[in-house]
Amino acid sequence: MPKLPAEDRHRASFEQRRIQRFWLLIGITALVAALFVPFSQIFLHVEYDYTLRTVALGGALLGVVSGVLGCFAVLRHQSLLGDALSHAALPGVALAFLLAGRDLGLLLIGAGLTSWLGVHFIRMVTNTTRIKQDAAMGIVLAAWFAAGIALLVYIQARPDASQAGLDTFIFGQAAAIVERDVQLIAVVGAASFITLGLFWKEFKLITFDAEFAGANGFRVNILSMILSTLIVVAIVLGLQLAGVILMVGMLIASGIAARQWTDKLGQMIILSAVFGAFSGSAGAIVSAVDADIPTGPLIVVVAFLLVVISLCFAPGRGLVWTLLRRHSDRRRFAAQTILHDLYHYAMDHGAPATPGETLGERASRPHLGSAVPEAFLVGVRGATARVGLRQLSARGQVQQRGDAWLLTPAGIEAATKDDHNHQLWAVYRQYSDELALPMVAEDRQQDIRNFLPGEAVEKLERQL
Amino acid sequence: MFQLERLIVQFLLNFVAREDLNAFLRNPQYTATLVGSLIAVSGALLGTFLLLRGMSLTSDAISHTVLLGIVVAFMLMSSILGQKPDLSSVWLIIGAAAAGVATVILTELIYRSGLVKQDAALGLAFPLLFALAVIIVSRFVDDVHLDEDAVMVGEIGVAWANTNSHCLVQAERTADGAHRAKPEYSCDSVTITPNDPRAEFTRQCVNCRRLGISPRDKEAEFTEICANCGDYSPAQAWQAGFTQKEPLLVFWPKSITVMAVMTLLTTIVVVLFYKELKLSTFDPTLAAALGFHPTLLHYGLMVMVSLVAVGAFDAVGSILVVAFFIIPPAAAYLLTDRLPRMLVYSSLIGAAGAYLGYDLARGNLLGLAQISDILAGLNDLFGLDLIEKWDSSISASMVLMIFFFFLAAWIFSPKYGLVSTMIRRSNQRRSFDHQVVLGHIHRHQGRVAESDEVTASTLHRHFRWSPTKMQRVLRQLRARNLVQTEADLVSLTARGETHARMFRQTQLTTETGGE
Repeated sequence: MPKLPAEDRHRASFEQRRIQRFWLLIGITALVAALFVPFSQIFLHVEYDYTLRTVALGGALLGVVSGVLGCFAVLRHQSLLGDALSHAALPGVALAFLLAGRDLGLLLIGAGLTSWLGVHFIRMVTNTTRIKQDAAMGIVLAAWFAAGIALLVYIQARPDASQAGLDTFIFGQAAAIVERDVQLIAVVGAASFITLGLFWKEFKLITFDAEFAGANGFRVNILSMILSTLIVVAIVLGLQLAGVILMVGMLIASGIAARQWTDKLGQMIILSAVFGAFSGSAGAIVSAVDADIPTGPLIVVVAFLLVVISLCFAPGRGLVWTLLRRHSDRRRFAAQTILHDLYHYAMDHGAPATPGETLGERASRPHLGSAVPEAFLVGVRGATARVGLRQLSARGQVQQRGDAWLLTPAGIEAATKDDHNHQLWAVYRQYSDELALPMVAEDRQQDIRNFLPGEAVEKLERQL
Repeated sequence: MFQLERLIVQFLLNFVAREDLNAFLRNPQYTATLVGSLIAVSGALLGTFLLLRGMSLTSDAISHTVLLGIVVAFMLMSSILGQKPDLSSVWLIIGAAAAGVATVILTELIYRSGLVKQDAALGLAFPLLFALAVIIVSRFVDDVHLDEDAVMVGEIGVAWANTNSHCLVQAERTADGAHRAKPEYSCDSVTITPNDPRAEFTRQCVNCRRLGISPRDKEAEFTEICANCGDYSPAQAWQAGFTQKEPLLVFWPKSITVMAVMTLLTTIVVVLFYKELKLSTFDPTLAAALGFHPTLLHYGLMVMVSLVAVGAFDAVGSILVVAFFIIPPAAAYLLTDRLPRMLVYSSLIGAAGAYLGYDLARGNLLGLAQISDILAGLNDLFGLDLIEKWDSSISASMVLMIFFFFLAAWIFSPKYGLVSTMIRRSNQRRSFDHQVVLGHIHRHQGRVAESDEVTASTLHRHFRWSPTKMQRVLRQLRARNLVQTEADLVSLTARGETHARMFRQTQLTTETGGE
């Protein structure tokens, strides 16, 4: 079937609008972020000293890294893998500390190793037994975490104070982040982005259609292992800030929010990075208000707010728009139904006879003058009748006469057009094959001219 | 709860002496093991259904968010009633159960919007609720029972110390057959008022803080206040020396009661609704068609999970409890195909893990080795500087033992284990090898190219096997008396002939059957 030029035009403008919307959204987020700084200074009395600047920068960078890589976890339906893996990092932190002392780089390597082992364990259990992935993740989550706790408790018995602060990995602590950590995050994050760029096409393929990728000779297992490793990297980097329990929120929330605004992977990732940066730094800044408030939970709360906003207001699929659309659909449908009813009632019953009129005269008048009692319409159509009548009288298509309703000339015109449209649709259904018309989904509520090109409608008209 | 405990105590005293009961309850190991086993049994019973319904991680979500319910109920009670409830309070348990159900509802709401997948919905809902709980705890609540450590690991090791004291009236039978309290013991609670001769007074400066002066200052004014006024339970009264008669006390750990009630409740629910749970787990559509209200069962199950999670919160914290829900049923799932057996096995595995876990925490590795010896060995070998005394978290060690059982089940399960699968595979491979060789010989025996096709030295080429493998297979076939070799020529024995024919026949039947 040849594509219609109108459809092409439509698609192009749709694409354009989507890109505009994308940049607009990024602009708004940047604006909010920029306004947030003076707001926090004035109302929350936050002081932007060196420490806070470092922490906020660290939070933003971590938000970017986890936002970008979290997109893949969300799209691959592995959101909860993030939860299991962040718990699985704890024994690594403890072991690395036991063996090598307190060096952030080594602690993170240890964390990465144990959560990577966790990925393998999940894979092995699901491959060799009938245990499903969710239970396997639960096993890793609980067992690895228990090992971590056992080691941490053992370590806390050490007489020296060097172990102090290891448990910040559990709940996260922004204040512990220093400039060197920020550099580390930046370097490792950049490395993981480069890897992502190198395997972009492959990752995209295994994310959306792993079977197709496998059939085309891509090593799906190895590729998804690399992708999981990158997710582990994001988790491990984020542990300091969000802690093992809440890391999953930080990982997936911005991805879920970003998913609402776009259908393109590239745009989704950029948006998710922006959202992640925003929630990471905003959470860090707000938690600076009071030393008692831990950072991780605040980041999660901010990220969740972004998700709620996205779920409600994302253009096209947001809940608010869906509700509004459903509401207006219902009203439009009610109006159309009642218009249709009034028209047919009038057609069937004809005009009321006026004294002294002959039958011929009466038949020649446009016989659409008979009023229909409201009670009758309500009896037939229920609540739809009232909604529809309200709509129609607002449009000036009906007028009230006592308890009854009557079509106005404008109403008659609309009803005639509507009826004609219905008839065209009916003809289309019957003759579309015969007349070799393009295939479209039938929707009698809509004007057929929006769906079919002019010459096709002419053909239908001739059939009438 | 208190009355219930009293009943249990009185019942138990029919069988054991009071001193023995107290000694048992005061032993940290016995109490910890008992509480751990109760958690394990109730977790395993519910976890089995969760596992079979593919909802294991819901227990993770619920156990996290139970904290929010506890915290909110705690704050409401301390601000409205002005009292600090402890974790065995019924209101906290109700609050926690509500939070658990709220998690499930929130997840469903997010999922029902159609915009977010199920796993992502769960991953959004529970971090949020947990985050709120942590914020509230760290910002507004100052209480030892709700600090962050308790959230992580619980306090099963000191479960024995948090007790209700029950004073027992020792009854004796009088001559006329009525019961009368023995005169030498007392169960009187004591109230000391300022008028009581036993009241002690201290001087307290009334205006020191206001004026910012020290009590030594001349302007300081003093008032006498009663230092020891108040209500004393029999135990406290005896300790403070207000009663001369010794009360007969049993110190009963609160955790035992809470978990015993939860376990009993779980068992009753599982037994009563066994049929419904089973049907709605394995065939939800049929269950709905028969009018079993799967949704109601679903939420009922979630309420039970929340109740057990909050009961266990005190002892093992809000994260490790997940292990008791997920790991034992997973291990049992590898051992049996029958639901009743799975329920029993997973309870046993959980309880055994709880029992052995206590030893592990104290450094005893399954009775085989001491962890301190291993640590010493590591220090010697690698020149490390590890502390050789191992004294670790009890709840975490219980989880590790349960995990150990899972590993054992995974490797050695007779039906689904790695070892038995490996053996089965290799048997299959061997019998396949045997069959193809027999078939080949059967086909070519006594034909034109016999010397090329079925000689021991050339046979391997026809299968593209290595000569060694061919040798091995022929050796096995000879051992089973299926083939014989005469001067390099391989032929079937009479037994081999029958085998090959049978094999050929089954092959033909399956082929035609397939079409």
